[in-house]
Amino acid sequence: MTKEAEHAIAVETLTKLYGDLTAVNDISFTVRQGEVFAFLGPNGAGKTTTVEIIETIRTPTSGKVSLLGMDVTKKKHDIVRRIGVLPQGFSSFDRITVRETLQYYARLFGCGNTDIDGLIELANLQDKTNEQFKNLSGGLKQRLGIAIALVNNPDVVFLDEPTTGLDPRARRQVWDVLLGLRKKGKTVFLTTHYIEEAELLADTVAIIDKGSIVAIGSPAELIESNADYLVLKLQSVDESVFELVRKTGFEPVRTDPHNITVQVGGPDDIRTILVAIKDAGALFLSLDVCKPNLEEVFLKLTGAALRDGCAEEVIS
Amino acid sequence: MSPRVIAANLIVSIKSFYRETTAVFFRIAFPVLLILVFGTIFMNQDNVRFDFFVQDLDQTDMSAELIRTLDLSENFTIIPVDPALDASQYAKDNKLNLVVVIPKGYKHSLIRRMTRNDLDDPVTVTYIYDPSSTAVDTKMQILNVVFAEINQTISDTPAFITSEKSSILDRDYRFIDFFVPGIIAMTVMTASLLGAVNVNAELRQKGVIKKLSTTPITHTDWILSNVLYQVLLSVISTASILLVSYTVFNVRLQLNLWLPIFVVLDVFAFVGIGMILTRVAKEAESAAAAANAIMFPMMFLSGTFFPVEMMPGFLQTFSRILPLYYVNEGLRASMIFTDNMLAMNYAVIVGIFAAIMFVLGLITTKWEEE
Repeated sequence: MTKEAEHAIAVETLTKLYGDLTAVNDISFTVRQGEVFAFLGPNGAGKTTTVEIIETIRTPTSGKVSLLGMDVTKKKHDIVRRIGVLPQGFSSFDRITVRETLQYYARLFGCGNTDIDGLIELANLQDKTNEQFKNLSGGLKQRLGIAIALVNNPDVVFLDEPTTGLDPRARRQVWDVLLGLRKKGKTVFLTTHYIEEAELLADTVAIIDKGSIVAIGSPAELIESNADYLVLKLQSVDESVFELVRKTGFEPVRTDPHNITVQVGGPDDIRTILVAIKDAGALFLSLDVCKPNLEEVFLKLTGAALRDGCAEEVIS
Repeated sequence: MSPRVIAANLIVSIKSFYRETTAVFFRIAFPVLLILVFGTIFMNQDNVRFDFFVQDLDQTDMSAELIRTLDLSENFTIIPVDPALDASQYAKDNKLNLVVVIPKGYKHSLIRRMTRNDLDDPVTVTYIYDPSSTAVDTKMQILNVVFAEINQTISDTPAFITSEKSSILDRDYRFIDFFVPGIIAMTVMTASLLGAVNVNAELRQKGVIKKLSTTPITHTDWILSNVLYQVLLSVISTASILLVSYTVFNVRLQLNLWLPIFVVLDVFAFVGIGMILTRVAKEAESAAAAANAIMFPMMFLSGTFFPVEMMPGFLQTFSRILPLYYVNEGLRASMIFTDNMLAMNYAVIVGIFAAIMFVLGLITTKWEEE
């Protein structure tokens, strides 16, 4: 078996320039068959450009991209039959119903035996089969888009920002559909700027920033390799606790009037803080020690927090 | 080319069409309304009557006889103007484009001419007119003809040159017969051009084209589907136009194979232009604006509503570079004059133009992003 065939997607030294702007800068990565791979990054990081090059919509400036062992610049005709795509900002024919839209795309692929009802059920659209596209809410449109991406029973599914612009409830409903895909063992390439989405759904997360991949691995690996500290969370109504922690040489952060978080190196640091509080006779209601999450890793790696897809510089 | 894909696109297009009432109106009802409105106007023009203001300063039985003669000419509805009034002021105040003044002494001069054959005392009838009015020239021409006949009768000599009409057509044709082929050509043009622009620019802007580019559909399939859809709708709208024209206005047009040929060529030419515009203009709105900029001069300058011969020379030359002119003339050659050779000449010109535009459209249509 060739190297490419082991991987659903193999990207080698891919670069994409738009005039003077470098949208994607010499990136390399692979996606294993059957895994959910998430491209995580702020708007303008190069996520969509990369994914559209793999989907054969855009041409690379340099580098090599293969999908299921086929060169994306040469085998468009074969590739499109084996992928399913939910493009960013997916839209369809306004006055065509959910069922008719699925039938239309199934016909384009020549898939006469597509289980339209099964797709409708997977996307949880049973109540909306005769609704015209223009009357669907944002979440329903995205779920229909995902169902359309599956009409040809593709080997690789691309979902470009499937939950952008959706309210939390609609977002969870889309996630349920994506978890269903994961159970089916599909290779899924997901781009997102929601950290919790990547953390919840992905086997592998690649963090992309300003056209370059800054870290890649499973969410646990990313946390493990990039967060060599623990987070101590203290709940206390005692005003003096904050000052006591500071005096021990750590840098406490007040997250709300009664909660303090402190970055610590290990159990010895925790003991030092707790002893200082006890010796001063101060009180706390609860304490919690946890590993940092992906958001904190993202913050550390890119120096920016993600809010609605926009990277916000963190003032330290 | 995949018939399965083309059929799938046609189904979606047709469903989208009949579910959108405004599209149905503009495609079917609007051209029918145009025919009804203009047809009614032109029907009345065949026996149009002008209001005709006459001031009789002579106030004699002979001047009254002259007015009666004018009244007999069928074209005028005589309205007398009080002799005590200033005719110029009266015309200005009432915004009249023509007042004819019969001078005092009309009877006296007429008697001198009739009894003594005194050629030195002619009568001058004054036309007080508004030169900015478009109808006034026609009125004055009709008056001159009436006066020339009266002059000839008085001089009592038979006319040397007389005329008789001999139509090159088998039957009498009216303006509505000229108008209907023009409306067919125009309707097919506007629908094909706007249809191509809407489908391509709007769907591209919405991202549907991007989605389609990740499916096995080819450009050829997509474009052929659009053309077939436009041909289908053009057949429906042409049939509606003809139905109304025959039933309401009893037109006498010949239907033959040239009609579908010109309709199909018309579709190809303007779908091609639409595809080019979609590529050149980045936004759907600017593509639609560009389509309008092409359509309107074409509508008015290529002989859709009135014959090209009515326009000044340089505009006539210009109209001969407009493709719609050849569609109009071709349809008229076949439907009115049943001149197959002429129709074929025009069909060849339109066919070459359509082929060039369509191929250019195919080349410029690109789905892949830069």
